[in-house]
Amino acid sequence: MIYPKKYDVIVIGGGHAGCEAALISARLGVKTLMLTIFLDSIGAMSCNPAIGGLAKGHLVKEVDVFGGEMARNIDETGLQFKILNKSKGPAVWSSRAQADMTAYKLRMKYVLEHQNNLDIKQEMVDEIVAENGKVIGVKTHLGNEYLCDSVVVTTGTFMKGKIFIGLNEYRAGRAWEPPSDKLSDSLRSLGLRVSRLKTGTTPRLDARTIDFDALMVQPGDDEPVPFSFKTTKFNRPNMPCYLAYTNETTHKIILQNLDQSPLYSGMVESVGPRYCPSIEDKVVKFFEKKQHQIFLEPQDENSSEIYADGLHTSLGYEVQLKFLRSMKGLEKVEIMRPGYAIEYDFVDPTQLKHTLEVKSIRGLFLAGQINGTSGYEEAASQGIIAGINAAFYIQKREPFIVNRDEAYTGVLIDDLVTKGTKEPYRMFTSRAEYRLILREDNTHLRLAKKAYSAGLMSKEQYLLIDEQKKKIEETINKLKTTYVFPNERVNKKLLELGSEIIKTKTDLAKLMRRTEFNYDKLREIAIDLEDVESFIKQEVEIDLKYEGYLNLQKQQIEKFKKYEDMRIPEGFDYSLVGGLSNEVKGKLMEIRPASIGQAGRIPGVTPAAIAILVVYLKKINDKRIRNTA
Amino acid sequence: MYDDDIIAAIATGYAVAAIGIVRVSGRGSLELLEKIFTKKPPYEHRKIYYGHITDSNGEIIDEVLVSVFKAPNSYTGEDSFEISCHGGLSVLNFVLERVLEAGARMAQPGEFTKRAFLNGKIDLSQAEAVEKIISSKSKRALFIAQRQLAGKFSSKIEKIREKILFLMAENEVIIDHPEEDISSIETKEKLNMLIDIKKQLKAILKSSQYGDVIFEGVVLAIIGKPNVGKSSLLNILTGTSRSIVTDIPGTTRDVVSGNFNIKGIPCTILDTAGIRETNDVIENIGVQRSKKALKEADIVIAMFDASNMLDERDTGIIDYAVKHSNKVIGVINKTDIKKANFMLPFDKIVEISCKNETGVDKLEDTIADSVINLESDTDIVSLNANQKESLKKGIDICDKLIDDFKRGADPALIGVDFISLADSIDDIIGKISNEDMLDTMFKKFCIGK
Ligand SMILES: Cc1cc2nc3c(=O)[nH]c(=O)nc-3n(C[C@H](O)[C@H](O)[C@H](O)COP(=O)(O)OP(=O)(O)OC[C@H]3O[C@@H](n4cnc5c(N)ncnc54)[C@H](O)[C@@H]3O)c2cc1C
Ligand SMILES: Nc1nc2c(ncn2[C@@H]2O[C@H](COP(=O)(O)OP(=O)(O)OP(=O)(O)O)[C@@H](O)[C@H]2O)c(=O)[nH]1
Ligand SMILES: [Mg+2]
Repeated sequence: MIYPKKYDVIVIGGGHAGCEAALISARLGVKTLMLTIFLDSIGAMSCNPAIGGLAKGHLVKEVDVFGGEMARNIDETGLQFKILNKSKGPAVWSSRAQADMTAYKLRMKYVLEHQNNLDIKQEMVDEIVAENGKVIGVKTHLGNEYLCDSVVVTTGTFMKGKIFIGLNEYRAGRAWEPPSDKLSDSLRSLGLRVSRLKTGTTPRLDARTIDFDALMVQPGDDEPVPFSFKTTKFNRPNMPCYLAYTNETTHKIILQNLDQSPLYSGMVESVGPRYCPSIEDKVVKFFEKKQHQIFLEPQDENSSEIYADGLHTSLGYEVQLKFLRSMKGLEKVEIMRPGYAIEYDFVDPTQLKHTLEVKSIRGLFLAGQINGTSGYEEAASQGIIAGINAAFYIQKREPFIVNRDEAYTGVLIDDLVTKGTKEPYRMFTSRAEYRLILREDNTHLRLAKKAYSAGLMSKEQYLLIDEQKKKIEETINKLKTTYVFPNERVNKKLLELGSEIIKTKTDLAKLMRRTEFNYDKLREIAIDLEDVESFIKQEVEIDLKYEGYLNLQKQQIEKFKKYEDMRIPEGFDYSLVGGLSNEVKGKLMEIRPASIGQAGRIPGVTPAAIAILVVYLKKINDKRIRNTA
Repeated sequence: MYDDDIIAAIATGYAVAAIGIVRVSGRGSLELLEKIFTKKPPYEHRKIYYGHITDSNGEIIDEVLVSVFKAPNSYTGEDSFEISCHGGLSVLNFVLERVLEAGARMAQPGEFTKRAFLNGKIDLSQAEAVEKIISSKSKRALFIAQRQLAGKFSSKIEKIREKILFLMAENEVIIDHPEEDISSIETKEKLNMLIDIKKQLKAILKSSQYGDVIFEGVVLAIIGKPNVGKSSLLNILTGTSRSIVTDIPGTTRDVVSGNFNIKGIPCTILDTAGIRETNDVIENIGVQRSKKALKEADIVIAMFDASNMLDERDTGIIDYAVKHSNKVIGVINKTDIKKANFMLPFDKIVEISCKNETGVDKLEDTIADSVINLESDTDIVSLNANQKESLKKGIDICDKLIDDFKRGADPALIGVDFISLADSIDDIIGKISNEDMLDTMFKKFCIGK
């Protein structure tokens, strides 16, 4: 039947991308429908029971500022919180939490169910209907046709999903959930390029059969910090993880059974992630390593299942059991669910705009693993951007685009739409060229204005953040204009604090730049310096201590912006530009960059080609100006 | 910026050979070929066609072979072709005129190379080399430029680039994978690698200075009191009688210059007015100019007369030379009359006789050795001012990084410095991208929590 209620936005999928897309679209006030294969797995974690981690923590916090749910959800359901890289500079601090997977997805479902403007239905979408280059609806396996103006597709690993355990092969979208076998054909017939990727997961072990005493304990931070700037009450447990090691026997077992690995027997030919290799890959490629770390992580506060991080495998069940039992502490281990590899369809993301809208079909947005990424956080951050833009498309508002100099989300999307990906794409801090500025700690400070102006943040929240910002600036100015003098008391104190004495009148900012200094120490030197909340102290310290480097990055950003601001008109005809090689022309026509800056990031587009483009655009621009004058 | 209109020129490199070549490149050049060539299309890439070039009336100008190169695989990256004519220079010129008449324009010097560079066919250092090949004045220079064009220098930088990538990946893996037990190399080893990179960059800078010597040449200035034989020496070295020789002290009153070539090094030699106090206005101006020449010179040849004792003016010259130049060659002339019975405080001293032309070879060797002190020329490169600037910047950043490592600085900041280092290498040959770094990272480290 043609369903009588017409929706503005339909979100296909209830994974991490789908949840954020559906929530934000409904929160922005447009009539939204989520269609997903299995309601009980809304917000499910297909793989590791953790949110955040290096560079991913940044994404979670950005999603939070843009009005998303992931940060709030983990703050309510985390089992252990940790800030990674605390011993290194603040630019690379990253939050991570172990999650209670069950509690996580239940709470997410609860939030969705309590969201205005949002309907949720368990149905599998088989077809996307488009007319005249515009989306008009979807058809499901039940034969229902839903009409809408915009669709966000977030199908994760489900499209033509195929699971491998040893030499056995099953059709599935994840563990034992049914795959979506028709949707990618529909996307193909809409003209999209679809190809395959693979990933894998680890066996889940029974905690009752693990000798934890033989393993090293890895607790979370004693003073856990929540992800969301909105979280006020925060009281979560600190459940430990454990560290185990493979050994030479483990490696031998794996090497002897490589013929049982579909990765090595040629059954799976698609590309998997290099940063998250299977244990087979690790043992083969890093033959010289005598041991590999395995992290044993709780999945659920109330369950025995333990996730064995570092053991992604597609080896057969028997081999899995054998190599597991070769490890210290796991001699008697029982497998509850085996590890497996999964192969699935994804859409080449260079066919998307920075809004995640498909270039060739208005109203059709793609987000999450379908775009070749991997990871919950990568999915969520795309989900929110696609959801916002789908709603804005309905509301006929300007697109919401996050740039590389603003957020990791911007880096992620720009990389995807500009370079595409050959392996499942994961975020790294090194992908963000301005990472000294794009820190986790200042996420809300740097993005509040953008979020608020787009209507993604309430006025109260914005004003609160703005106040913090002003306080930071004020404090910095104060430190720059408050002086201490080289008298006996000051110098005595300086020596006490393990610092050098001063010989001339010195401002406090200068003292702060000394490695050993922090705000509290300053207050010992300058007695009347007012106390401020610890977050302000931290930001002031970072801003002053890194001033030189931060200024350098700000300059780089200015330069970057100059090229981003040179827009290339949509539908620009590259064949008119003399002097570009066919290779370069081909690439430019395929990617259709929105700006000169983006063009320069396309692999294979030479600096010389960019120079030519710049001059050409200038020429036609001048001509236009002349003509209108 | 350039347009891709059709350009043409006689490929001068072949001018001396029995056949001459007219090179044509640009968008639509193959249609142009069709107009002037008896063999009609299809033209395939890298194929050679036999036929005749005809004028607009169809009259034959020359019997030729035409090699066709198609975009993007041609030297310039554009559609292009080369006409090999066997006639002499005049036929060659007729063919060129015909090409121009059919719609091409004369290429500016180096324009083919510029296009090749703009189309990403060659990197900056190679482009630099092509220009040098065109302007090479000696075989030695040609050899050096050709090595550079062949990418010998690029591959050297490439090796340095790999090392930088490795160190960057080392740094990033510490940041992005803090929980991995990655057996990363010791800080000390990283430090050594950095020191080595710096050393190599410095060596390249040095060899680019040799490149300047080969391609730009050196300036020599002869000083000495009047009548020691300065003009005579200039005449011998340049093989001319440019400078007037008399036995009247103070003959040369202004700077006279001449050019010659020692072992492929282009030299300009300046014969100066003997530096002496004088009341003669004109000679005085000459003396002032001599002093100026002296400052500009790469090498100063301080000349003395073996047949006389050193006097105050000679010691004045010695002082002056030592003070104003760090490359002084002492020359004792007129050894045919008498062996010198004095000592000079220079590292390099050559005894000659301009009259008998003895010792001049030795002097030439000494000059050559003091500007290029290398076992072989294989390391010499030619870089432009920007590239040299980038090298210097790279060396400075190496220093900063060495300091970073010694202090155990924050890896996030080290990362910033590495990016600057990579940027400076970029400026010399090409880009280091994020992807390159990640590639290196995944190749070297087993990452996979
Ligand atoms: C085996 C495995 C191993 C993984 N390993 C890792 C890892 O090591 N590290 C890591 O960071 N990430 C890993 N991931 C990836 C991570 O789980 C995903 O990146 C993330 O969950 C993607 O989120 P998503 O929202 O794009 O899709 P998913 O979370 O996969 O959600 C897809 C949703 O779409 C629904 N759906 C699909 N097709 C249809 C349809 N036709 N109609 C209606 N609904 C549909 C599904 O029911 C599901 O709700 C792994 C995933 C799997 C399956
Ligand atoms: N015997 C002998 N005479 C020389 C030699 N070299 C130069 N003379 C003579 O010395 C005189 C001066 O030579 P110049 O070359 O004019 O000297 P100069 O240094 O240029 O002199 P001013 O230009 O006057 O400063 C001439 O008569 C030369 O013939 C030499 O090696 N042996
Ligand atoms: Mg003279």
